[in-house]
Order: sequence, then C-alpha cells, then structure tokens
Amino acid sequence: MIAQEQKPIEEILGYLNGKRKVVIVGCGGCATFYHTGDKKAVREMAERLRKEGKETTEVILPLGVSACEVEMSSKFLEKKRDAIKAADAVLMMSCGDGVQVVGEYIENRMGVTIPIVPANDPLGLMGGGPRKYKETCQACGQCELGKTAGICPLTACGKGLMNGPCGGVREDGKCEVDPEKDCAWVKIYERLEKMGELDKFMEMREPHAWSKAKRPRMFTIEEPVKPVSAILSSLPSYLTLLGGPKYEEEE
Amino acid sequence: MGDEVYSQLMKELKEGKYVFTGELEPEKAGDVEEPIKAARELLGLVTACNVTDNPQSFAYVSSLAASYKIQAETGMECIYQLRCADRNRNALLSDILGAGVLGLKNILALTGDHVSLGDTPDAKPVYDLDSTTLIALIRKVVDEGKDLHGNEIHNPPKLHVGAAAAPGAAVLKAEIAKVKRKIKVGAEFIQTQVVYYTEVLDRFFKELGKVDVPILVGIFPAKTYAQADFFDKYVAGVDVPPDYLQQMKETKSIKDKEKRKEEVDRVNIEFFTGFLEHLKDTPAAGCHIMAVGYPRIIPELKKVME
Repeated sequence: MIAQEQKPIEEILGYLNGKRKVVIVGCGGCATFYHTGDKKAVREMAERLRKEGKETTEVILPLGVSACEVEMSSKFLEKKRDAIKAADAVLMMSCGDGVQVVGEYIENRMGVTIPIVPANDPLGLMGGGPRKYKETCQACGQCELGKTAGICPLTACGKGLMNGPCGGVREDGKCEVDPEKDCAWVKIYERLEKMGELDKFMEMREPHAWSKAKRPRMFTIEEPVKPVSAILSSLPSYLTLLGGPKYEEEE
Repeated sequence: MGDEVYSQLMKELKEGKYVFTGELEPEKAGDVEEPIKAARELLGLVTACNVTDNPQSFAYVSSLAASYKIQAETGMECIYQLRCADRNRNALLSDILGAGVLGLKNILALTGDHVSLGDTPDAKPVYDLDSTTLIALIRKVVDEGKDLHGNEIHNPPKLHVGAAAAPGAAVLKAEIAKVKRKIKVGAEFIQTQVVYYTEVLDRFFKELGKVDVPILVGIFPAKTYAQADFFDKYVAGVDVPPDYLQQMKETKSIKDKEKRKEEVDRVNIEFFTGFLEHLKDTPAAGCHIMAVGYPRIIPELKKVME
C-alpha cells in the first residue's frame, strides 16, 4: 500500500487560497488505512475548511473503493457531478495517484477544468502492519531480490547500492544515512551466511537496469477484472480472516 | 589487468618500496591555491597525493579539475578520488576518460557519503554504481577499451584503480568480504580509512588474510584537537583513543603559538611512533598520511619507518 500523511494545513490552505467552493474527495484504499482519506478524515477536513469560510461538498469513498481505480471511484464522483461543476477547486485526500487519476476523469470525462490539489504527501509502497510499516519495494521494473537474499538493496539500502555495504555502517549494523535503520547489506550478508550462500555475496552484481523504469510507465491489462465479481469471489477468503490466528506485532 | 605500470605510485608499489601517500582537499572556492600550496610542501615527502572528492558530500572544487591543476603546476602525482555519489554511470565514464586526457594516472574508486550528511541535504541522491562496479567499469575501460554496456572506446586511457577499506568497520566480516570482492574485480591497491588502534589493524589483516594487492594504511596525525574530535565523533568506523584525544585537548590551553605547535607535534610523534613501529610488523605496503595542512609532521613520522 502507499503510505501517506496529511500535509500541514497551512500548505493545503495555501493551495485553496481564494477558492470558496471546495469538493473534498476521500479514498477507500490506502488513504483509508493511513487515516488520510477515510470518512473521518474527510469530515474533519470539511469542518476545518468551513471554519475558513469555504463551502464544502464531501465525496466519501467506502473501504475497498480506491480513488485511483476510476471505474469504481467515478460512480461516487458522478453522484456529485453538479457540485464538481460548480466548484472552485477539488481537494484530494489520497496519494498523488488518486489526485491525477481523479483529476483526469474530472477534466476529460466530466469536462470540468478546475484546480485539483493534494491534501497528502505519499511516502512510498509499504508493507507490514498493523501499526508499523516500512518501504520494501520501489516497483523499479527489474526485481533484484533473487540476487540479494530476498532483501531489496535498491530500497532498503540508504544509498540503493547493488554491492554494499558502504563504508558508513554504524555500530550495531545501522545505516550511515539514518542511525534508526538497519544496514540492508549487513542483513543481506547475514542472511546469505545463514543459508550457506556467501559465494553469492562475493559475486559482483551488475549495475541495476534502470531502463525498465522509464517514466511515466504504462500498462495494459487485456482482460480487466470486474470489481463486483472480484469482491464476490473473494468473500470466502474474507471469512477466514474472522477465524484466523491473531497476529502480534514485534516491538 | 596487465603488468603495465603507468604511475610512479604503482611503480614504487610493484618494486616493493615502502610508499607514503598524502592527502589534499580542494575547498569551496573559485581556486585551488591552498591544495597547490600544500602539494608543494609535500613534494619529496610522499610519492603521490589523494585529491578528495566532496568529502561528507559537501560540494567543493571538482577533484578532477583540482587533480589536474595540482599535478600540472606542482609535479605532485595525484590519486584522483572519484565517488559514485552524485554521478550516474555516464557521468562517471566521462570523468574517467577526462582523467586520462588530463594526464592523471591513479583513481581511487569510492562509493561516497550520502547527500544527507552534507550541506545541501535536499539534493537528489545518486548511486547508479557502487565502489565495486566503478572499479569494474575502470578496468573494462582500461583493459578492454569498452564501457559497461560494451560500447567501444577509442584510444582508452591508461589508469590504475585503487579501492578503500575500513579496518574499523562495525561489521568487519561484511567489510572484509566487500574488500575481497573489490580486489576480485580488479582493484590494484588499497588505501584504508584512518586507524588509530593497533588491535583494529591486526584484526583487519588477520581477517583479510593474504591478498595480492598492496595495502596502504591510513593514519591521521591531527593538527588540532578539533580535527581529532571530528574524526572520533563523525567518521564511521574510526575511534580515536581517549588518551590521545585528551593530550590533544590539553594543547589548546597553551597560549604561546609556537609552544602549542611543538606540543601538538610531540603528542603526535609520541603516539604515532608506537603505531608506526607496529605497522612495520604488518603486511602493509605503505602508509597513507592524511595530515591535511600539517606537512611538517611527515618527515618526523617517516623517520620511524626508516
């Protein structure tokens, strides 16, 4: 999921300076998990903006409906078509993906050209939970995990080195860039050592091929999944969640 | 990697001569007068001098430009330090070819500190290559006349490439493996990070075992207490002995400038005499003296090694 945090309110108000009618759009995907675009966050933002004398319309996307998946999110946007047409600005409480996908929809499909501004700062693709998350993958287009003991050096190493560790490893194997974080290459070394595969460490890994990260990247799915049938077919899996073992997070 | 020798540094190392190298630091300035002055003072005392490349990720005069000017104007052979930081593989190749054109003969291939440690922390961090792949690139350019993608290079430069090692690394086993990997891909000499403790040095040589490349051990006789304190506090993998630090601290209270200089020299000579005597019994091929702005100490230290 894309981790995110809300921007300072001063920055948000700066973007909305001089805009009276504001449509606030939340997100039922990542932004709901990170409390930056769920129902509560949208309502609190609306209240804050009303205190600034703004007229607000809220578009709340329920859990499972991500702003960036336009086939689903558009159904909720369409319900507020009139408010969007009359608005001076749209405030997106999602990651930058949601801002742009919804922005394109409003511009191209609704025919409305108005400022669309972000409420959040996206912080990367993160996994883990339920409380602590960390960035482990940067979706670079050429996965290197098969060469690095299943730990991504491009993401977990502060310098993104393919052949570390650098000379900056701190005491207790912490990173030069941030003493709170582990040195990824010490972790890779130790994992390879435990698995008896240190010969892999000694082989030089070629520089990463960045040609597959030519931006902006595009993708076409030949047979798109139908959202409703996907949800229905997943129901039995969701039921197992109710009876599964309790996960306890490491401190 | 052939047996050809392009530089005085490599010549002396191959002949088995005990080699001293020095260090010069370009500044945040529009000239290189200071390192040129320092190079003149070091002539005859060291075989070659490293020219630092934006240490701690502070931007200074380019080490390529500085190395060229210093070598051309003083005759001091330069070891051009080249960091992967802030340059992608194209920029690195351009600088390597540029070094050849400018008559430089030695490159020390480094990864480099992260921009967050420097004075422009919002700069975009770049690490397209690392010290290992940079060594591999230089070898490929020199030995095969090709870049990493196999593109041909007409009239490739003749350069030697060295690597760094950190004997005091917090996780020594990983550091040792990395140093061996750098030797495997073609590093021709090693210069170590500063070492103050003989035990640290001994452990490093023991863990490394026998290797085929000459190793120059880094020492840092500090000109001031502040320099020694900086190394102790901020340089990864370097611990400065508390006794030495304390003695350096005490020199601060000496009012008379000349007497203070004498005392600083005395502290350094006393400390490093013991260290260098020990160094004689290690496999070190020489000593990299990082006495920036402190050339007067070098003849005294060299005496110990005679």
